[in-house]
Formats: sequence, structure tokens, C-alpha cells
Amino acid sequence: MFSDYAFLIVALPVLAFVLCIFFGWHLPRGGGPITVLATFGALLVSLGIASEIVPNNSILHQSIPWFGVFNVGILVDPLALVMLLMVTFVVTLIHTYALGYMNGDPGAARYFAEAGLFTASMLGLIYSDNLLQLFIFWELVGLCSYLLIGFWYRKPSAAAAAKKAFLTTRVGDVLFLTGIVLLYNNMANLNLTLAPGEYLLQFPVIYAHLAQIDPTQLTFIALCLLGGAVGKSGQFPLHVWLPDAMEGPTTVSAMIHAATMVTAGVYLVARMFPLFYAAPNALTVVVLIGAFTALFAATMGLTAFDIKRVLAFSTVSQLGFMMAGLGAGAVTGVFAVAVAIFHLIGHSFFKALLFLDAGSVIHAVGTNDMREMGGIRKYMKWTSATMLIGSLSLAGFPLTTGFFSKDEIIVIAYEYGIKASMIPYIFLVLAATLTAIYTFRLWFLTFTGEPRSDYHKHESPAVMLGPLVVLAIFALLFGIAAQGSFYNYVGSNFEHYDVDMAVLAGIGGHELEEGGHGAAAAEGEHGAVAATEGEHGAAAAEGEGGEEAAEAEEEGEPFIIQILPIIIALGGIFVAGLFYYWKKFSPSMITGERDPIRQMLLKGYYQHEIYTAWFAEKIVYGIAIFFNMIDIKVVDGILNKISDWTVAFGGNLRKVQTGVIENYVTALVLGVVVLVVVVKLAMEVGI
Amino acid sequence: MIPLELSILLSSIVFTVGLYGLMTQRNGIKLMMCIELLLNSANINLVAFSAYQPNMDGQVFALFSIALAAAEAGVGFAILLSLYRLYGTIDLDNINALRW
Repeated sequence: MFSDYAFLIVALPVLAFVLCIFFGWHLPRGGGPITVLATFGALLVSLGIASEIVPNNSILHQSIPWFGVFNVGILVDPLALVMLLMVTFVVTLIHTYALGYMNGDPGAARYFAEAGLFTASMLGLIYSDNLLQLFIFWELVGLCSYLLIGFWYRKPSAAAAAKKAFLTTRVGDVLFLTGIVLLYNNMANLNLTLAPGEYLLQFPVIYAHLAQIDPTQLTFIALCLLGGAVGKSGQFPLHVWLPDAMEGPTTVSAMIHAATMVTAGVYLVARMFPLFYAAPNALTVVVLIGAFTALFAATMGLTAFDIKRVLAFSTVSQLGFMMAGLGAGAVTGVFAVAVAIFHLIGHSFFKALLFLDAGSVIHAVGTNDMREMGGIRKYMKWTSATMLIGSLSLAGFPLTTGFFSKDEIIVIAYEYGIKASMIPYIFLVLAATLTAIYTFRLWFLTFTGEPRSDYHKHESPAVMLGPLVVLAIFALLFGIAAQGSFYNYVGSNFEHYDVDMAVLAGIGGHELEEGGHGAAAAEGEHGAVAATEGEHGAAAAEGEGGEEAAEAEEEGEPFIIQILPIIIALGGIFVAGLFYYWKKFSPSMITGERDPIRQMLLKGYYQHEIYTAWFAEKIVYGIAIFFNMIDIKVVDGILNKISDWTVAFGGNLRKVQTGVIENYVTALVLGVVVLVVVVKLAMEVGI
Repeated sequence: MIPLELSILLSSIVFTVGLYGLMTQRNGIKLMMCIELLLNSANINLVAFSAYQPNMDGQVFALFSIALAAAEAGVGFAILLSLYRLYGTIDLDNINALRW
């Protein structure tokens, strides 16, 4: 029943957008309650769909023709379903919080309209059933992020940040589009005979025919798609827009960082995982970019003083974890998708929580600078308690959500390390340590100690605290409650399609593990057995294999590897405590003001100097001047010359019109004479 | 009966006189008169050929042409009259406001 109304998941927020943008000015709180209700409605529909497809272990796929070989469609498989639930749930809470946070802002109606559209685009992106439709929503997400980051557009820095976000992600989007075109080209060249209702760029069709595409082409396509993901998910080297995106309202940051934008890149790689898996070397690039970004961003998080910038760097870092997790799928297969998406969802809970807490603090204190905070715990009990939970989860404190998800990524990175390269594992462990340190540096600096400036001391209203408490519960308990079933459910995602991971592994040059992670391999082996028998066999093998592999994993890895995430989490918190709570040390004791490393971190690896001052203003500007010159001199030059000639010719020609009647008559008579002579001559010759 | 050649000769002379006037005169009234001469030379031809043929078609055309000439003269003189009111002259060399 709910499946028939799946379109409402996008339609409701779009409706809220229309209502808010046209009538929001006349409604209380800028029409915010409409957006909240619409998103909540989308959550209910998602839940309804979940209640229908989860028990049957089926997927929901609807599609109608659009034009040519393209279609519009809805595809809800396990991967899309968990994302839908997470996005609608987290965004409902963020919108509720925004009712309080944006109250009194003159642009509240605009905010809720754009937020509704933002939600709709992300939801549409998630359950698109073909790559072209996904790309359209992808661009819509980019547009909405531009609008919302630049929400306070009168502030020059906000306008600049919005432009930066738009242009930086655009670099990735161009690559993404190139990838789609390449993929379409390759698919079209296969000359497939498609059944009715099947279209070239539909995910099930792509999955089914991956094995027939040339592997070199696959790698090209995968890297192009990865380019899009890198732009959207703020991976190195296109991460520069994310910290600047803090210029928007804090609720926008929460939406971008937790649910509606940066996760899109990770989701794209997860969605196209079979393609990445089949493409030789593609996942190696993914894991290296991810691991490097994780460490790189974590070091920058250590030195930032803006509370939201610290969180932004942590988002970049955690997205690096997810990418690295997906990349480790080169060894672990589809299981990696489940792990990465689990971290994505856990991360969205605690990152939304942290941002909303930060917003609550900023709302009260009126500044982003942690050096002017301190001691807020006494005045904002709820905020500080929920933020502590969020921080624990982000730092990976045992038994919190972040612990389970990040731990699992580190473990599969270790497995990847055994088979391939240890570099990602080392990077990730270092990044996890730094994560614990900077997270608690933030918490200690903000909430403990003595007030370092004269700020307003009041707790936020209940409409803001409610979402915080709900998110805190999820940040604390989601991991322990959902871990096992989540891995099984999402790990089975690609079994719904006609795709044989064993074959793809052969193309991509991966070794597929037996059983467990390689559930598809088990299917492949048993596939030859008689139909019904085979299915049972495969199912059984999967079940047993999964458990065996899990056990093997427990035994297979050294004790230290398993215990390490706990040690680094606790150790990191302790180190942060030594510096910022007990004040046994201070940063100046280990590094002087002039220390080049400290300077480098404070300046964010001179990214501004490299990207803006050098790359943008020297190289790109130089190229721009060059092309501008070509445009003016050559392109415009040719056109101007042509028009100049035309004008000059006309100017000379009009002299013929003397205005003297006699001349006209003379010309007329001469013309007639000439005509008569010509006709006469022609008749003579006999034409 | 007058030979056809004489009629054509007459019409040619009238036509040449009209054309000459059109090419040399500046005065608007004179130009109008020259145009009348051109039209009438054509009428002479029409009537002459009609008599020579013999049928009435040419004379019908001649009547048609005379009516047309009358209308043309009416419009032409009206224009010249308003030009005179505007410029105080009908010397067409002085009336060149729309020239480049």
C-alpha cells in the first residue's frame, strides 16, 4: 500500500517548498511547521515502505518512460531504504530544531522553503533508479547547498563561501557527468536488447552488464564517478569548500554535514560499488584518497578555534573514513558497503547532534570562537550533556555508535592491509587518535573551565532541546542495537540484482573471500546446483559462512588490532583532558609560536595560499586573462570586423540614393534600355 | 484609315517628350505633367492597336488607364500641395529631408 505512494517522499518536501516560498511570509515562523510536517510525512512513508519490503526481503522498483532511452523511476533497495530512513529522520529533527533556531530571522520563510527543497533533492537522489535522474537531483542538492550556505547573502564572507562551495563541487560534477556519458556510451555499444521497462542507465541494467564492458573503460568511468563523489563528499583535494560552508545557519551546516549533502558522494560510490569493484585499481584510489583525507582533515581539526570549523574538519575526516571503508571493499567485497554506510548513518546521528549542540551554544553565546567560551556546562546542562554524548560517539568511546562503526572500518582497513597495503590502516588509526583528541579539545574548551568572556548564560528553548535528546539517544544506542542486522541487511543489497560479484572480482583482479563477506561468492559456487536446491544451499552457506567468517575474524586478527580502537579512543580523550581539562600541559610547551609545523597546521596546510592565492589567482586567473584576450581579440574581433565592413559598405551604397529625381529616372531608363538590349540579344542567340 | 505606323510614331514622340521632361525638370507640377504624357502615349498605343486589331479590348484598357491616371494625378497633386505648405516650394531638389 505504501509502495504506491513512494513518490510522496519527494513530493511532500517539494510541496512544503512551494507553500513556504509563496505563502511563508504570512505564516507563523515562516511556514516552518509545514516543512517539518512534510519531512515527517516522508519519514512515515519511508517507514511504511520499510514495513512492506523488509519482511519480504524484496525491493521496490517503479519506473515510467521519460524520453528516448531514459526513464524516471523509484528504486528502494536495502541501501536506499536505510538512507531514506536516516535522512528523513535526521532532517525532521533538524527542521524541528530550526523552528527554534530560525525564529525571528526575517528570512525564515526563505530558509524553510530552501530547506524543504534541499531535503526533497537528497531524497530524490537516494531513490533514483537510474544514473541520469540521480545526477539531476545531485545538481539540485548542489544548488540548494549554494542557496543555504549563502543564506545570509548580505554578508560578503557568506556569499563567497556559497560561491566557493558551488564552484568546487562543480569540478567534481563535471567529472561525474563525463563518467555518466562514458558509461552510457559503453552500455549503448553493447547493443543490448532490453526488455520492456528496462532502460540503459538503470542501476539493475548497469549491474547486470558490467562484466561485458572493457575493464579499462570501467576504470575510467569509476574514476570519473569518484571525481563527483570527491567533490560532493569533500574529499582531498576538493575538500576546501566544506569548512567555509560554516557561513550558513548552523542548522544548514547540520543538514549538509549529517544528512543531505556530503553523504551523497559516499552513497554514489556505494550505489555504484559493483562498478568500482569490477574496475581494476579503482578501489585502490578510493581507499588512498579516503585514508589520506581522514588523517589530513583530522590534523587541521586540531588547531581550529571556530567551534563549527572543528566539526567541519571532523566531517571531512569521517567522510574519509567512509571512503576508505568502501575502498577496503577491494578485499572484503560487498561487506565494505554495509560497513561504510553504517558509519555514514551513525555519523549522521552524532554529527547532526554535535552541530545542533554547537548551534545551541552559538545561539546563547553569540560567537563561534571557542576561546571566548568556557564553563558553559553550568548554564546549559542539556546542551553540554548531549554534546558530551555526541563527542564520545565521534571519538569512538566503547559501546557508542561511533565506536562500532569506526572500529569496523579500521578492522576492514586492517584486512585490506594484510592483502594489499598497510598505509590506509596506519593513516586511519592515526586519524582516529586525532579525532578523539580534537573532539574532546572542543568539548573541554567549550564546556569546562571558567568563562573566558562575558556571554549570555541561558539554555535553549525546548523545541531545540527535544531533537538534541532524540539524536543523543540514537548516537548512543543505534550502534549497539542495529549493528548485526544492519550489516546483514545492507550487505545483501546487491543480491537483489542480476550481478555476480565473483565474476566482477575476476575482472577487477580481487580475491573474493570464501563465505561471510563474499556472500555473492557462495551464491556463485552454488549457482550451478539445481535451481531450488541451489537456492537453499546458497542461503544456508551464506548464513553459516557469515557466522564462520565472523568467528574467523575474531580469531584471525591479533588481539592488539581489536583492542586498539578502544585504546586510541580512551588515550585520545585522556590526552585532550591533560591539555585542556587538567591543564597539565599546554600546546605552547611542545611547540613554539614559530614552530613551522604549528604554523602550517594553523594555516591549514597553506591551502588558502595554494588554492586561492596561487592556483585561483595566479594560474586560473592567468588562463582566464588569456582566454578573455582571445575572446576579445579573436572571437569578438572577427564579429566586429564583419559588422564594420557591412556598415561601411552600406554607408557607401546609400550615396546612390541622391534624392534627385532626374538621377532616378535616368537610372530607370538606362535599366530599361539595358534590359531591352539583353532580351533582344538573348532572342538573337536563341535562348 | 490612319496607318498604324503614324499612331505609333505619335505615341513615341509623346513618350519621348514626357521622358525628357521627367529627366530634366525640377518643378513638381511639370513632373506630374510629364507623367501624364507618358501615360497618354501608352493610351494612344492601346487605342491604335485596338483599332487595328480590330476589337474593343485595347480601348477598355485605355479607359482603365485614364481612370488610373486621374487617381494618380489627384494623389500626386495633393502631395505636392502639402509639400508646398510645408516648404514653401515645389522644387523637388530642395525637398530632401529624408535623404541620407
